[in-house]
Amino acid sequence: MQRPSMSPMNRKALRDTLLFTLPAVVMVLIAIYIPFVMSGYYSLTEWNGISRNPVFIGPANFRTIFSSGSPEFVNALLFTFRFSALFIVFSNVLALALAVALTRKFRLANFLRGMFFLPYIMSMTIVGFIWKFIFTQGFEKLYEITGWGVWNLSWLGDANLAFYSLVLVGVWQSLGFYIVLYIAGLQAIPSEVLEAASIDGANSRQRFFRVVLPLLGPSITTCVFMSLTNSLKVFDIILALTKGGPGGATYSATLDIYREAFQNNNYGLGSAKAIVFFVIVLVLTQVVLKVFERGEVKQ
Amino acid sequence: MQAQVERRKKAAHGAFLVIVVLLACLYIYPVFLMVDNSLKPFKEILTNVLALPSHLEWANYGYVIDKMEYFRLFWNNVVITVIGIAGIVVFSSMAAYILDRRDTRVTKALHTFIITPMLIPFQTIMITLLKFMNIIHLNGTAWGLGIQYWGFGIPMATFIYFNFMKSIPSEIDESAMIDSASTFQTYALIIFPLLKTVTATVVVLDVMWIWNDFLLPLLMVNSSPSSKTLVLAAYNFVGSLNTKWHYALAAMVLAILPSVIVFVFLQRYIVDGVVAGAIKG
Amino acid sequence: MKKLLSMLLAVAVVLTLCVVPAMAEEPVEINMFIPSPEYADAVNELIAAYKEVAPNVTINYETTQNDYPTLLKTRINAGMTPDIFGTTSGKEIADYAEYSYNFAGTPAAEAMDPAVSAMMTYGDGEIHGFALKGNYFGMLYNKAIFDEVGIEFPKTLDEFEAACEKISAAGYQPVTTGFAEWWVYKHVMQHFLDAATDDPAALVAAFQAGEAHFKDYPVLYDNFFRFIDLCVKYGDNKPLETDLAGEVSAFGTGKAAMVTGQGPWVEADVTSIDDALQIGFAGYPVTDDPAQSQIIAGSDQALRINKDSANLDAVLDFVNWWYTSEYGQNWFCDVAGVIPPISGAKVADMQIIKQGAELAAADGAGALSICYSSDSFNQAMGEAIQAYIGGSIDKDECCAQIEAKWVELDGAKG
Repeated sequence: MQRPSMSPMNRKALRDTLLFTLPAVVMVLIAIYIPFVMSGYYSLTEWNGISRNPVFIGPANFRTIFSSGSPEFVNALLFTFRFSALFIVFSNVLALALAVALTRKFRLANFLRGMFFLPYIMSMTIVGFIWKFIFTQGFEKLYEITGWGVWNLSWLGDANLAFYSLVLVGVWQSLGFYIVLYIAGLQAIPSEVLEAASIDGANSRQRFFRVVLPLLGPSITTCVFMSLTNSLKVFDIILALTKGGPGGATYSATLDIYREAFQNNNYGLGSAKAIVFFVIVLVLTQVVLKVFERGEVKQ
Repeated sequence: MQAQVERRKKAAHGAFLVIVVLLACLYIYPVFLMVDNSLKPFKEILTNVLALPSHLEWANYGYVIDKMEYFRLFWNNVVITVIGIAGIVVFSSMAAYILDRRDTRVTKALHTFIITPMLIPFQTIMITLLKFMNIIHLNGTAWGLGIQYWGFGIPMATFIYFNFMKSIPSEIDESAMIDSASTFQTYALIIFPLLKTVTATVVVLDVMWIWNDFLLPLLMVNSSPSSKTLVLAAYNFVGSLNTKWHYALAAMVLAILPSVIVFVFLQRYIVDGVVAGAIKG
Repeated sequence: MKKLLSMLLAVAVVLTLCVVPAMAEEPVEINMFIPSPEYADAVNELIAAYKEVAPNVTINYETTQNDYPTLLKTRINAGMTPDIFGTTSGKEIADYAEYSYNFAGTPAAEAMDPAVSAMMTYGDGEIHGFALKGNYFGMLYNKAIFDEVGIEFPKTLDEFEAACEKISAAGYQPVTTGFAEWWVYKHVMQHFLDAATDDPAALVAAFQAGEAHFKDYPVLYDNFFRFIDLCVKYGDNKPLETDLAGEVSAFGTGKAAMVTGQGPWVEADVTSIDDALQIGFAGYPVTDDPAQSQIIAGSDQALRINKDSANLDAVLDFVNWWYTSEYGQNWFCDVAGVIPPISGAKVADMQIIKQGAELAAADGAGALSICYSSDSFNQAMGEAIQAYIGGSIDKDECCAQIEAKWVELDGAKG
């Protein structure tokens, strides 16, 4: 027979749950959800972000995005996806390779890990400034010295190259973070497993691909998930390096939202784009997370 | 035969070392260039970026420290960062603990509720955030800004704590419960100390983030020197000196220096595989 | 009981009497949040000087260049409108009109140079802003290089091409353009707008209404693009990567002979690289008619007073002091080194400003037609021309894009 009300045990558990999560829930609510819902309201208005009185226009902004195509937003989305794809691949592959190298036992290992981590502790905008300095001043000098054509290419001024420059700088800045995550994952692999594999006659490559990589599943999931959310939101480095240029070629989705709301004075339309983008990000990350979790080897 | 294999192994290891060290140096070269050029007179930067300074122009730093009231703003940053970190650590670990130990529909929902904001781009809530913070009087002061970071830091920190929590066997808290400790006592006296390593990670990551953050302080703290942050001043400074690389670079070095120092002292915690917290389970 | 009450009353009266005079000296705070951080030092000196005049007034001065409009909007919306804030002049005067004080008739407005106050006008004679500085727009050139090559500064497009050829042959980079910055294009474009018609304001309005087209204005469709093409051909090695800093260093180190898109504001930076540099200043070569090569004068930035300021009187006192006191009037020239936005003030001893004043007096100055468009549009225009320079769109596509943006961003909404 089922009892109609909760047992005292369950009630206590529920009370604990609510009490323990209350501060977190309240703070997240205040800082993020409430402003987000308020933005949701503005997405239904026509408002230049300046005047006192937003005009309520219903879902017209969303209609603008979906029906008239909004080519700038679509381009920005495509840019963001391309950026994210390259960013995820490079940062994960390189980080994993370096993590494998840096988990070997040698005297400098710790120090070198620190060196690779260093860019991560600098703020994005400063990283942007540094690279701008290098792309403009540094490359010019390198070209003078070496005469190699690569230094003379316009790495920030050519639409295609600027894309790769941004990927490069983005990966450079955050690689250390993923290296550390992978090192942690590698160290968590019990050494007996590797020894057993060696005894079975596996060479080091086989050991890596057949034993280590599958066991790294959870690390890979975490790193891919983190690199995905971070790259989809890319903003600061673009603002510092190209400001969306040259000729609007490097607008990411967030930068396009920013431009719509603050430069074009269409705060309502910008908010609507923000909400559409949020939904896209939500769906994309959930799908990726599910796919990777399914691929993990159950431990 | 044996000796030959040994020797070859040694040579391979030597080559590996050289390659890794070279890679690391190349990797860090941009940072080196920044420091290098921040110590040059202006004209030297224009004529030769790659060279070492002919003499160390410490005057660049003197000028910048003086102009941006470095030490005063440094203190503001400390206040904001300490308040922010304290709340993030306590509230996230508490939430993560209960969310992991109780597996019900309610905890699942709460988990999603707390984690999801990781996906919301900050730019989308900028205007309304300031509007709302103004209503509840959390803007304009260093401590108010510190509190705001709780909301922005909790999702990620809870995510990390939650994943780590799985690696702590629940027998530990069950035995405490048998000794009739309350849930809170169990958390505070038994679980939280066990989280030491992952807490260090959260602290390091969040110090880096809060210390370096730009957009939120820019929106929230006014000009008054009692609340302005160091990084904010550095950015304004760089912005107003758009062509004077020597001062701009010195300001940039000064802005990141504190987080580099924190990193050097806490590096052990990061590198000892602490971030395993984000992975185990 | 009654006695007690009356005693209390007496105490209250005495207290009030004591407090009222003290109120006059009550500390007042003015929040001033304006762009142009390049004048931060000068503004701080101004504030320090005002502290001596009005010791009870504290001015919280804050400045930033990047993202200034964003931050301003965010603050206004949060109900934290600064007491003094900045916008561009001209078109943007109307956008912020509901927040800004009309100070027509105040001593400051009387002192203002009429050319400046014309850009601050809203509706029927209301004046909604004042300026930190007047400004000149034109091309800078290195006099020594022109002397060495033995030519005069070009006043027509053909002369410009010939000059570039000669300078190039002499081993210098003819021109540095700053084409990585979106605002360089608006500075260049306005000279062509002025040459394209007698009434640039009406022309811009026609563009905004979607009634004008580049093709109908050869000065824009042919000459402007010819100028851009020549600048790319004879300009920086990496045009879309060269920003303000790049221009300053190319010009300051004596590598480049001419500069586009800049004005008096770069003189201090340039001379800090080479203090002996002889800078020339002239209008752009826009057509075949040398007379149309004119500099442009005016004030493109407006400072505004929040009409709902809690300390409106104190703010007005400050601004009036700034524009009318002896210190304030001399400040423009002696401290900030800018073109005074007030009538009859002395001219700063800067090369570009001096030549600008002479040229404006001799040949007249063109209309500040950037101000007829919003910066939202100007930025979109800059990006379209960048895309043209980068080769991803052709001239006709570029013109079509600019025309569309003019309507979309500056046309009547709705």
